This record gives sequence, C-alpha cells and structure tokens, in this order.
Amino acid sequence: MANLLEVKNLRVDFHLEGRIIHAVEGVDLRLDKNETVVLAGESGSGKTITALAMTRILPPNAKVVSGEVILEGQNLMSLNEKQLSSIRGAKIAYVFQEPTSYLNPVYTIGEQIVEVMIQHQGLARKEAGIKVYELLRQVQINDPDRVFGSYPHQLSGGMNQRVFIAMSLACKPALLIADEPTTSLDVTIEAQILKLLVELKEKMNFSLLFITHNLAIAKKIAGRIYVMYRGKVVEEGPTARIFDKPEHFHTRELIAAYEKIGKL
Amino acid sequence: MKNNPYMLWGLVIIAFFSCVALLAPWISPLDPSLIDGQNLLMPPSARHWLGTDGLGRDLLSRMIFGARISLSVGIIAVGISIFLGLILGSLAGFYGKYVDALVMRFADIMLCFPTFFLILAIIAIVEPSIYNIMIVIGLTSWMGPARLIRAEIISLKTREFIQAEHALGASDARIIIRHLIPNAIGPVLVNATLGIAGAILLESSLSFLGLGVQPPIPSWGNILIESKSTLGIAWWITIFPGLAILVTILGFNFIAEGLKKIIG
Amino acid sequence: MIKYILKRLLGMIPVLIGVTILSFAIINLAPGKFSTLDQAMNPKVSPEYQMRLTKAFNLDKPLPVRYLLWLKNSVSFDFGRSFIDNRRIADKIAERIPVTLGINILSLLFVFLVAIPVGIKAATQAGRAFDTVTTYFAFFLLAVPTFWLALLMMQFFCIQLGWLPISGIHSLDFEYFTPWHKIWDVSWHLILPVFVSSVGGLAVISRYMRSSILEALSQPYIYTARAKGLPYRKVVYKHALRNALLPIVTLVGLSIPGLLGGSVIFESIFALPGLGQLFFQAVMSRDIPLIMAEVVLGAVLTITGNLIADISYAYVDPRIRYK
Repeated sequence: MANLLEVKNLRVDFHLEGRIIHAVEGVDLRLDKNETVVLAGESGSGKTITALAMTRILPPNAKVVSGEVILEGQNLMSLNEKQLSSIRGAKIAYVFQEPTSYLNPVYTIGEQIVEVMIQHQGLARKEAGIKVYELLRQVQINDPDRVFGSYPHQLSGGMNQRVFIAMSLACKPALLIADEPTTSLDVTIEAQILKLLVELKEKMNFSLLFITHNLAIAKKIAGRIYVMYRGKVVEEGPTARIFDKPEHFHTRELIAAYEKIGKL
Repeated sequence: MKNNPYMLWGLVIIAFFSCVALLAPWISPLDPSLIDGQNLLMPPSARHWLGTDGLGRDLLSRMIFGARISLSVGIIAVGISIFLGLILGSLAGFYGKYVDALVMRFADIMLCFPTFFLILAIIAIVEPSIYNIMIVIGLTSWMGPARLIRAEIISLKTREFIQAEHALGASDARIIIRHLIPNAIGPVLVNATLGIAGAILLESSLSFLGLGVQPPIPSWGNILIESKSTLGIAWWITIFPGLAILVTILGFNFIAEGLKKIIG
Repeated sequence: MIKYILKRLLGMIPVLIGVTILSFAIINLAPGKFSTLDQAMNPKVSPEYQMRLTKAFNLDKPLPVRYLLWLKNSVSFDFGRSFIDNRRIADKIAERIPVTLGINILSLLFVFLVAIPVGIKAATQAGRAFDTVTTYFAFFLLAVPTFWLALLMMQFFCIQLGWLPISGIHSLDFEYFTPWHKIWDVSWHLILPVFVSSVGGLAVISRYMRSSILEALSQPYIYTARAKGLPYRKVVYKHALRNALLPIVTLVGLSIPGLLGGSVIFESIFALPGLGQLFFQAVMSRDIPLIMAEVVLGAVLTITGNLIADISYAYVDPRIRYK
C-alpha cells in the first residue's frame, strides 16, 4: 500500500474571453509505487489538463482552483514555482503526444537531454554527454553518435519519441506521465514504443501514468483504469473488471470503440 | 461596439481633421495668404492663436487649409493606388499563368526600389505639384493592394462553393460582388488606412524638402520649411504643423488597429 | 545550403535586369521639362548643352540601343559624369558611401541593442504596465515624422541646451585634431542623426520582437522545457528566444530600403555628406545621370539586402540549413 501519488479534488478553470470553463471538476486519483495506471477518456475530457496541472505547467489562462497533489507525502500545490522546478523532470517527468513538435527545433537532441541532467544533477557537460550516450542506447537507439548531434526535424517520429523517453528518464523520476505518447505514431512503431516503456519501467522502477483514449493499450499494460468524462472521473477499477463489467456509459463507449478497431 | 478604444479615438481624431478640412473656408479666422508686414513672426496671441510666420501670415489659418491639402493628398493618392491595385490584382488573380507572372514580376521589381528614391526621381523629372504628388505616390503604392486582391481571388477560385456556383451558371461579376468584396474588404481597408497615413507622411516630407506642394499653397510640410531658419526664434512654427502631422498619422494608425481588431 | 544560395543568386538576375529597364524607362520616358529628350529638342537651350546631352545619353541612337549602352557602362561602374561638376559619378558615390554606411550600421546596432530587450520584456509582461506603456510609445514613434523630430531635437539639444552640434559630420577645425579627438568629434556629431534615424526601427523591431516571443512561448516545446524543471528565465532566454530571433535576423537585410529612403531626409537636415544628401542635391539640380545611378544603386542595395535576409535565415534555422 505504498502510495506514490494521491490527487484529491483537483479543480482547474480556463478563462476564455470572459467566460470561465471548468476543465477539471474534482478529480481524485491514486498511484502506488511501480504501478501502471491508465487515465482514459476522449479528447476534451480534461485528462491532459489534469496531468499538466499536477506540476502546474498550465497555459497562462488556466488556473488550479483547488485540490491537493500529494507526491510521496508532500503536497505539490503548496510549493512555490522554484520548489516545483526541482520536482519537474527529476521526480515527475512527462512524455507528450507529438515528439517532434515538443522538442525544440533549434537545439540538437544531445543538447536537450544534457540540459536536463545539468539542471538536476549538476553534472559537467562532458560527463552528462557520456551519460546521454548510455541513455540513448537504453532506449534502443543503435547509432547514438548520429542522433546526439541531430536536430529533431532530421529524425523520424518514432526515433524522436525514443529520444523523448530517454530525456524524461534521464534523472530517474519516480513517476512518468505519458500523454498519448503513441497516438501520432505508426502502428508498428507504437507497439515498439509500448514494449520499450514496459521494459524500462521494470528496469528502472518508476510508476507510469499512461493517458490514452485507446483502451486496447490499457488492456495490454495497465493494472488499473480511470475513466474521465467531461472533467470528472466517472469510473475507476482494475483493468479486468472494467472490461468485464463496465458501469458508466462512457466506459462502455470506449470499450465499444476498442472492439471495433480490434485488438492490438 | 465601442469596446474598441483604438477605433474610437482614431475616428474622433480623423473626424476632427476632416471637419477642419471640409469647413476650412468658413472656420478659418483669416485669409491664409494675407501678408501682414507689421506682424512678422509673432508668437501666439489673442488675434493669432498660433502666431504668424515670416510673412506675417496667420499660422492657424494656414494650418486649417493645410489640413485640406494633407487629407486630400492622402486620400486621393491611396485611392489611385487601390484603383490600380484592384485592376492589376484582379487580372493576375483571374487569368493566372502568364498574366499573373507578369504582374507579380512587375510588382517585385517595383518593390526593389526604396520608395522615397523612386518618388524623388520621378518628381525630379516632372514638376513638383500637388497633383503630381498624388499621382506619383499612387503609382508607387499599388503593389500592396494588388497582392491582397490577387490572394483573395486565388483563394476564392479554389473554394468549392464557387465552383458550384460557376457550374450553376453564375456569372463572374456576380461571384465577385457577392464573395470577393466582403472577404477582401477587411485587409484592403486596413491597407488603405495605413496607406493614407503613409501618404500624408510622404507628402509632408516631400513638401518639407521643397519637392512637394509648392508655396504659397499651405501644406503642413512646407510650413515647416521655414522652421529650419527660425529654430530657437519661433517655436510655434516648428511645433504646431509637426504636431498636426503626428496626430493625424496617429489617428489613421489607430483606425487601422481598430479595424484589425474587428477583422480578428 | 550552397545550392539554396546559388538558386537565389540566379533568381536575382532577371530582377536586376527588370530594375535597370524600369529605371531607364522612368528617367528617359517621363514627360517633363527636364527630360533629356525635351532638353535636346528645345530650341531655347544652348547648342553646347544639347551637344553634351546628346553625347552623354547617345540621344542620336534608338531607345533600346541607348539602354544597352547605359547598361554596359553601369555594369562596369561607369555611370558617366555629373551634370553639376562634371566629376565622375562613380567617384562622387564612392566617397559618400562610408558616411551613410557608418550611420546606418550604428543605427541598426542601436536599434537591436534597445529594441530586443524591450520586446522581450514586453512579451513576458504582456498586458501589464511595461507592455502597455511601450505599446503606446511605439505607436507614437511610428507616427512621428523623422524630419520634424530632427528639428525638435536640434531646437532642444543644440540651440537651447547647446550640448550637441547642430550639423555637419565634424567641427570646422577638424584637421588640427589629434586622432582621438577626431573620433570623439565625429561621434559627438553623429549622436543626433543616429538617434533620429533609429526611431522608426525601434518601434517596429520592439513590436516584432514582442510578438515573436509570444509566438514562441505558445509552442509545444515550451511545455517540455518547463516539464524538465528549467527555471522560467531559462525557458524564455534559452528556449523561446533562440526561436523568436529567427525572423528578426531577416529584418536587418529587409530594413535597407527604409534606411536609404530615410537617409535622404536626415542627411540633408544634419548636413552629413552621405548618399542621401547626394541624391537630394542631384534631385534639386536635376542632375539626371547622378539620379539614375543612385536609383539603380538603391535598388541593387535593396535586392542585396533581401538576399542577405534570406541567406541569414537559411543559415540560422537548422530546419533549413540541414535539410
């Protein structure tokens, strides 16, 4: 019962041209150490905002109205920006949907990964560089030399996602939040990346919060599933139970979609 | 819908100067060309609200008539440029291929010349006069409107509902009137407003250099010629005409900002 | 990258030809009492003058031939001789280039030194006091006629306060100065002209910088930078800035035509011996060959500026440089 992360009653509002939109309305989540949990829902359900809100990296017109995000006993919402910066990338890391656009186009891959190691581990540039080469090999990149000096636009989507995973795991975080990391990739690449994530999780012992609208993935990798609909968590439970006896209508919709496409 | 302060203030300013220009003969306290040997270079007083110039002429009256000149040059010059731009842009957009290439090449070539150089060179050959200024400024500014119109026509040509209307037998003229104009009018209006501001600036600069509106016709620019020789002696000759130019240009720039906000 | 440069250079050629044709056409076909043809035909004008014109412009030959002859000469920098003092135009232009070049380079440096930080601050403080104030100020600067600003500055700083010299590029007894004093003297004379010519650029570039940073800050990779735990300062100055500066780089080359046009006015007001003042004098005295030469020169400089802008952008953006 080792609780890594506990989210209580998280509420996030968006201010759009004078109107207030309640993007996240009282979400409760729980993650144990070394667990893989899927946060499922369609676009617009608020799952991405929930993930971003946990470390308060929200767009300027969004605000966390209330709620607690307790990571290893510490409430992140009570920390100031400087303190949060030392958590981001070090304790909690992210992988995003479209890797090429989430990487900075004017810096090399090597530079972008080295940067996070220097920031959190105080390494010298050369030392960090060597470690990055090891990291790249760990994500099954066979020519780390080439990749290190490349720019994001020179690499494929799948390659960039491996790079991104390497970058987020560089400082050995306790929690990895992956927001639809395979949605924009080819099906074959998708399978490779998922396999990679699962393997790395075993090796490096982190918890994985995987956000997706595709329940097929959830069936494959998750122990528990949260279903979000319109800013609220509408159902929660072990994967097997969710598939066996879904209660909420939206859960049933997601399962139906999965069945139509067929299993992974 | 005046939560658009730029638009509001812009219109106020321009309305003011327009009224001054239109009602010039009636509101001008004295004859602008009335030479008064007794009252050379007098500072502002009850009789001459803005003082007098080196020939004893009332500055206020000269500036009121100067408003006429500046505004009419601005509007007519821009009118010419839009007229030319409309024709050339439409030809390029409609007929495409060679006509388009020709017109656009021509525009590119004209854009290679620093505008002021080109205008001065032409003025050097033809006589500087108020009409020539209008024509020359118009002839050297058609490229902007032409590009806008051409872009609009090209985008319209490819839109499906236009092709549908064409198939149904709607004539070109009808398509132009019902679709081109409402869509293009926004950017063209912004372009025109900024163009008038630019034309007024050009006219004052040219008149100041002695190559624009010729004395004794009063233009804010050529009133300032005298300020060169009266610097430090007659501050009113320097301050007022320049201020008028500044505020007028500001007014048109505000309107353009206001328009941009409306177009969105 | 090299291929890109070569392609652009090749594309310049037809434009250059078009530019020369247009320049030639304007000067030689425009109606007016100073057009060379009219003068040559005008019975009131002295026969020597007519002879000079005819020789200078090959007026006895048909138009296309005249164009080609003029073009041939121009390409070898033989622009003929000035009407005013019969000196070689190429010489007159060459001796003026340093002043105009110097002032405009200093002006650009000043603009970028000031406008870039102002733009960054306005973007990071978007909607707050600094941003609002600088926005209004930028509007004001864009609406101010440069020649009027020059007059005001002269009235205030030169006449009333006596701090700065009113005109010229150096004092009267310049020749007797020590080298250090010479540099100081010229700099002192250049303060006002450089400032006046930068005003428009300050407004434009600071606005551009502001919107460029805002644009960069709304990109996905900024989320990544923050998610990596980088301090906000680094997010802005390392990740956003480098991207935001890309389009700014092109503005250096693209501001050349504006700078040239502006130099006509302020060089005349401040009596600085540059290309702008030369052009103004040429126009006032209807020195046709000099006018033609400067117009073509202005166009060539503009085209070069565009080329530099394109090439710098291709160099600075890795997505284009390493295709």
